[in-house]
Amino acid sequence: MPVIAASYIGPSLTPNRDALWEESKLPLNPDDLVNEIMGQPMRRAGRFIKMVCCGGIACLQKVSLGYLKGKKVGIFLSTGLGNVDEIMPFITQVFKHGGGFPSPNQFANSVSNAAAFVLARICEVTGTVLTISQEELSFESALWLALSYLESGEIELALVGGCDIFTPTVEEYRERVNLTPENSHSMPMGEGSSWLLLGKDKENYIGNILAVDFGNKIISPEEFSASENILSQSEKLIPADSAWQKKKRFLLPGFRLNKIDSDFWKLKGWEVDDYLPYCGIHSTAAAFGIARALREIPAALFVHYNCHASGKQALVVASTK
Amino acid sequence: MNHGDIYVRGWGAVTSLGWSAPDSARNLIAGNAPPAAAGVSSHLINREYKAFEVPYSGNPLDKSMAMLERALAEAFSRAELSAEEIAESSVLVGTTGGLFIRNEYEFTEAVRKNPDNQSPAISCRNRGPGEVADLIINKYGIRGMALTFSMACVSSSHALVVAADLLKRGKIRRAIVVGFEPLLNMTLHGFASLLLFDYDQCRPFCATRAGMQIGEASAVVIMDTEESSAASAKYKFTGGYLYNDIKSMTSAGIDGVTVSEVVQQTLTSARMSAGDVVAIKAHGTGTRDNDLSEGRGLVKLFGKNLPPVVSLKGAIGHTLGAAGAVETAVWLSCCEEGFIPRSFGFTEIDPEIGFAPSQKNIAARDGAYLFTFFGFGGTCTSYLIIKE
Repeated sequence: MPVIAASYIGPSLTPNRDALWEESKLPLNPDDLVNEIMGQPMRRAGRFIKMVCCGGIACLQKVSLGYLKGKKVGIFLSTGLGNVDEIMPFITQVFKHGGGFPSPNQFANSVSNAAAFVLARICEVTGTVLTISQEELSFESALWLALSYLESGEIELALVGGCDIFTPTVEEYRERVNLTPENSHSMPMGEGSSWLLLGKDKENYIGNILAVDFGNKIISPEEFSASENILSQSEKLIPADSAWQKKKRFLLPGFRLNKIDSDFWKLKGWEVDDYLPYCGIHSTAAAFGIARALREIPAALFVHYNCHASGKQALVVASTK
Repeated sequence: MNHGDIYVRGWGAVTSLGWSAPDSARNLIAGNAPPAAAGVSSHLINREYKAFEVPYSGNPLDKSMAMLERALAEAFSRAELSAEEIAESSVLVGTTGGLFIRNEYEFTEAVRKNPDNQSPAISCRNRGPGEVADLIINKYGIRGMALTFSMACVSSSHALVVAADLLKRGKIRRAIVVGFEPLLNMTLHGFASLLLFDYDQCRPFCATRAGMQIGEASAVVIMDTEESSAASAKYKFTGGYLYNDIKSMTSAGIDGVTVSEVVQQTLTSARMSAGDVVAIKAHGTGTRDNDLSEGRGLVKLFGKNLPPVVSLKGAIGHTLGAAGAVETAVWLSCCEEGFIPRSFGFTEIDPEIGFAPSQKNIAARDGAYLFTFFGFGGTCTSYLIIKE
């Protein structure tokens, strides 16, 4: 499926640019980003909604909002944790000693699909608008579902994104993402809002999503990072014709891999694009890695690999022109 | 004989009216539907907010797990699924709170055990809405897809329509659609803060209505290309339609136009006409705006031939993200019992709506039953279930 546009925003809040950031200084104020992308403030929106909208609109900047007009468009927002940023102050008010006064605006903002509503309203999309959550495989699940709607012809364009935001404390954030030294990469916690615009546009595209595969087996944490297995599964999904076989290959490792054997991959003719230093760990980090590769690495073939802590695997195969 | 049709093969539900879908159905049909009452669960901190609470002797976290497990077991049994058939299925969950109940329970327990200390900060330790699907997958060794929809009141109704779409396209083998919504302080206080809470009684479509009341429930609907062999009838799922109304975050337009168009689209895609609808399972929350937009929309479309309209929320409450699966499961058990129940909580016609919801049990004859759901964020779901 052609990828018409892609955009990535990480914890530095610099759209489509790698920049330095520090976990201890997160989260950064998004208001400058909102002004840059949206052209005006979003005063009543919470941080999660702002990040979703900035990510989605940044992706559409390549084609303009007018490109969507008259087309059947779907929005597929994925998020692992949802709007924790609004839920926690709200529930803290509810449980306040002596009775609190929870804010109705905060409650409205805390509903997971409020962000998709605001983005759909900006984009004037009235059809399929879904908010999907499946922990660390949220983005891959949303992408799989979007492809199914596109392939069936039910929609012509799909705006698919992943957004999760940094919410202190770091210790609780790590617990929410179910991270242990055995089941994950050692990396600071981060955040991001990264999006792809997909559709059957044969001229105006930057790359292709070739496959989204969840396999049909459950593996143990020790096997999460077994390079031979990842390689053999990846090769099964790469199309056999020579045009694809000749492309330079990259592995994009998800955060559940606790080690990456770079020498193994080099020996097999692959490069490893470790994107996590630019976005940190967050449930939808895959969206950042895939969008970044689609924008920044030309004439290449990528496999993004990640595992759920329970042992379910997800592979996304993509290529650039 | 199957011609690419999608069937509801099994279902199960736990509501305030019973720990199985037939228990809830029999109580509805018999009129045994007590009004919402002050919450008794140990984690609830404000007894002013009446709710439809599932009876249980134990802590609220154990209750939530028991509700989920009971609904799954009931649905699997009714669908006569083998362990291998369950494992090859996909799981689609609709929930807003997920396992947030854990945070509320642990916090209130910490406070209860240390009454003289300042309250600790409440922690958010749950892993997002997707955690419910993860529990189910791990317990039953499910290898199919897992998708969780966290979309306020349409979460599980949207999941049902997406499941039907994926089955039609051959993308999944079978769907286990789950609605799960334990009673939370977060939602009770949230809807109260929005002034959408009725402190007295939930009265869908009634002139005296003053808001919604929350119910807790879990339900499971098994969708398949194969029919049920255990049920007395076949239940075909068709016409599923999802719409996103971008005009308002909180209302589907009180002129009824959006609702009318959504239902018309459902009928068109099912190749049916308004006259084919036997009865309507309305969303009917009891809030002023929902009932006005829905009531006017139904009148606009059906006119003088409006079939019986029933809201279940006067009897089991608004089960939020679980409503789609819960109300479908309970309705189908009512069909199995032979009657569609009356709509509870109604006393007086609202002249702005112009009709009374059904006030007596009616025979559940074969034909098309329309289901509607409208949620926060402009979300609309509509589908038909044909009893054959």
